[in-house]
Amino acid sequence: MAQTTPDDTLALLTRLSQKPGVQSTLVLSRDTGAIVRTSGLTSNSISANPNSTQPSSSEDSTELLSNGAGRQATGIHSAEDVARLVYHFVGAAGSMIHELDESDEAKLVRVRTKKNELVIVPDAKFLLVVIHETPPA
Amino acid sequence: MQQRKDEILAKKAKLAELKRQREQRAKEFTASRQSIGDGSELVAPIPSRANNRADLDNLISSLVGDSRPSSAGPREPSSPAQRGSRPTSVVSAGQLSGDQSEIPSPGHEKSAPAPSLQTLSIAPLTTVYDFPASPKAEIITYSKGVQTSDVYEPQRARAKGFSDSEDDGAVSPSKSPRKKRLSRREKEREEELRQNLRREIEEELKAIQNHDVSAAETNGRANFPSRLLTNEELNAVTSSIDFQGFVDRSTKVIERALEQEYDILADYAVDGLGAVDDDELGASTGRRGRRVKEVAQFWDERWSKKRMISDLNFSPKFPELVLASYTKNPSAPHDPDGLIQVWNLHMHERPEYVFHAQSDILTARFSPFHPNFIIGGCYSGQVLLWDTRAKSAPVQKTPLTGSGHTHPIYSIDIVGTQNANNIISCSTDGVVCGWSVDMLSQPQEYLELQTPQPAKSEEMAPTCIAFPQSDPTYFLAGTEEGSIHPCHRYDRAGAKAGVDTRISYRGHAAPVMSLDFHPARGKIDLGDLVLSSSLDWSVKLWKARPPAAAAGSAAAGSAGAGGGPGGAGGGDGGGGVGAHVAAQPLMEIGREDLVYDARWSPVKPGVFALVDGAGALEIWDLTVEVEVPVAKTKPSARGTLGGGASSSNSSYMAQSLNKCSWEPHEGKRIAVGGLEGVVSVFEVGAELGGVEGTKQEEWAEVKKMVTRLDQVMGNGGGEHGR
Repeated sequence: MAQTTPDDTLALLTRLSQKPGVQSTLVLSRDTGAIVRTSGLTSNSISANPNSTQPSSSEDSTELLSNGAGRQATGIHSAEDVARLVYHFVGAAGSMIHELDESDEAKLVRVRTKKNELVIVPDAKFLLVVIHETPPA
Repeated sequence: MQQRKDEILAKKAKLAELKRQREQRAKEFTASRQSIGDGSELVAPIPSRANNRADLDNLISSLVGDSRPSSAGPREPSSPAQRGSRPTSVVSAGQLSGDQSEIPSPGHEKSAPAPSLQTLSIAPLTTVYDFPASPKAEIITYSKGVQTSDVYEPQRARAKGFSDSEDDGAVSPSKSPRKKRLSRREKEREEELRQNLRREIEEELKAIQNHDVSAAETNGRANFPSRLLTNEELNAVTSSIDFQGFVDRSTKVIERALEQEYDILADYAVDGLGAVDDDELGASTGRRGRRVKEVAQFWDERWSKKRMISDLNFSPKFPELVLASYTKNPSAPHDPDGLIQVWNLHMHERPEYVFHAQSDILTARFSPFHPNFIIGGCYSGQVLLWDTRAKSAPVQKTPLTGSGHTHPIYSIDIVGTQNANNIISCSTDGVVCGWSVDMLSQPQEYLELQTPQPAKSEEMAPTCIAFPQSDPTYFLAGTEEGSIHPCHRYDRAGAKAGVDTRISYRGHAAPVMSLDFHPARGKIDLGDLVLSSSLDWSVKLWKARPPAAAAGSAAAGSAGAGGGPGGAGGGDGGGGVGAHVAAQPLMEIGREDLVYDARWSPVKPGVFALVDGAGALEIWDLTVEVEVPVAKTKPSARGTLGGGASSSNSSYMAQSLNKCSWEPHEGKRIAVGGLEGVVSVFEVGAELGGVEGTKQEEWAEVKKMVTRLDQVMGNGGGEHGR
């Protein structure tokens, strides 16, 4: 409610990305799938347009890139890959729900994997994805 | 289209039927043929034709007889020529039989003649396409079944082939050897066509699939260049209101999701050993039923810093929401002075809502009648109304004029019913105002409280007010000088609006910090019990005289009508209208520090909580012990919740707790807060809170104790009276 300036808004995202257990965050535009913000993800196109994927966290993007090889093993992917996959996945989930009930829509998608959890909040215009570690089960 | 589909379906069914019949026939035929001769060739029977003519006729009629009726229908329009040619072709039984062997397939294929077969092989592109999975025979069937060949004829490139084959077909019936060859050729051609068709269809399907894939790929990959937003676009997006609203909402959802401690995928069979024994934590603060356990701490780096908590209140509608009002942050002159944060027990790290005000908020609470409204009182004397659906600024506020408050409002309440309720605010200059939630521009009621005579000064400085559960027209006001006065909102029999001069509750020697009427939820009415806390290091328990009884005891002198034991005190000190009765507390509980707040548990009749200047939260249960608290604890230092080690590096002053508030429905949680600006929420054990554990006897016990104390007090009351 109080967050009316872009800085505050981005601070919210930054905080979210720095919460313990959170590996990466990703904000997509709902209609085109364009990446608005990411953190904790490497980007293929970072050189092409460094501003398209500013890491919200304090970590430097170049550091992310340099560690990219090592991070692949820890489940860090390229932002574009995640964006594409999630975007289509949410589209599929959305159409499923739409076909079940035309007046319905997806509000929250949580996907638990063996390694982590994706929490996806689809909204009218944007889509927020958070990948976080789950307690070892 | 639909019509055509139906047609096709009908035909398909018919064809299936025909096919079955054909198989039957074929079986019969072969059987009969074997019986007839060696059955090696269709031509073979020719010599025996004369002999077996009758047999053959029979056979034919038997074979054809049952198939004709069904096939006759469809055949009629398309194959009159065929029919016509048939008689000429019936040269020999062998031919007939050969024809017979041939006929089933044309018959089966819609019983159309060869020409139409060709036609059909042309049209298939569309038809077959609908049924790509059909077996070969079906495909043929289909191609022949299409009766729209005429329409398609001119459009097809194979029209020539069609005419050729038509010729063949036309001729074929007349010459059996040729027909045989033809049928073979035909079959080959058909096969070829079929293969061609299949190839075409497959290609088409492949193409479609490829297209899909490539489309998907263009969606996924080719889109990526276009997804690279420019700086300007990014800025535009991130500063759009849509985006901010979205981030606000979605991050809340995700934080709540992450906060969910319980792992729904937990497999207890796998990691049962690692589970923490929950009881260990409780053991440190007493028996299990009486434990008090800290479950949450709320602190926001941005907003909570250097602010003190001035009030706390749980939402009556959503038990997980608790609001905290804060004083100003002296080191941040550009931030709004007043602040309210609504915290969610499921989201520890940031407030659910933040509300602002121009002036320090000294008291605030949720409206019990509208879950979206929050009402606050300011140091400036304004009453503010926030709406959780709106922005952080108040949606309504009272003006800073003489018609309302001009002094700080330390106490506020909402009384009445769902449909008729008022905000009652009280400022330190003794002004009590009643407001309508719909209109804060002007008070509906205005009342000035004055200290009853004799007194040094008429002025009264109320620090807190409290309404009993049962009567919204009457309240108690605690003052800075330590006395507590009953006040009426309206003129009533025997008493004018304002301070009731006939009785006052005297016992505190320092400003009264809180007053709380018993919530009276049980069968026995304890609604007249009042708890007061004061800076004189004590908590006192009072029995509030009902306003009518107070009037009665004053008016009737020593009669003590209705007041019961209270009347005794009144009798001693009384003596006509205007006489002043100084009621004594039922019980005094001395503490080791300033007591800032004391609140009854909403569910347990004898339980109350208090917070003191030393930063301790104490839970008392009058049915168990009246000398010492049943539980005492301190909030752990900020950020160490769950870490275990509670360091006390903060200064003594910073630990002081100002306010406490029970969760009103279950009474299991209590929020405390103080100078440090941290809201701590504790959960109490089953003996101290929770609806299920309350026994009826407790109510009776409290009642008995009160009666006993009342009598003791009543007997000794004469000495202290006045």
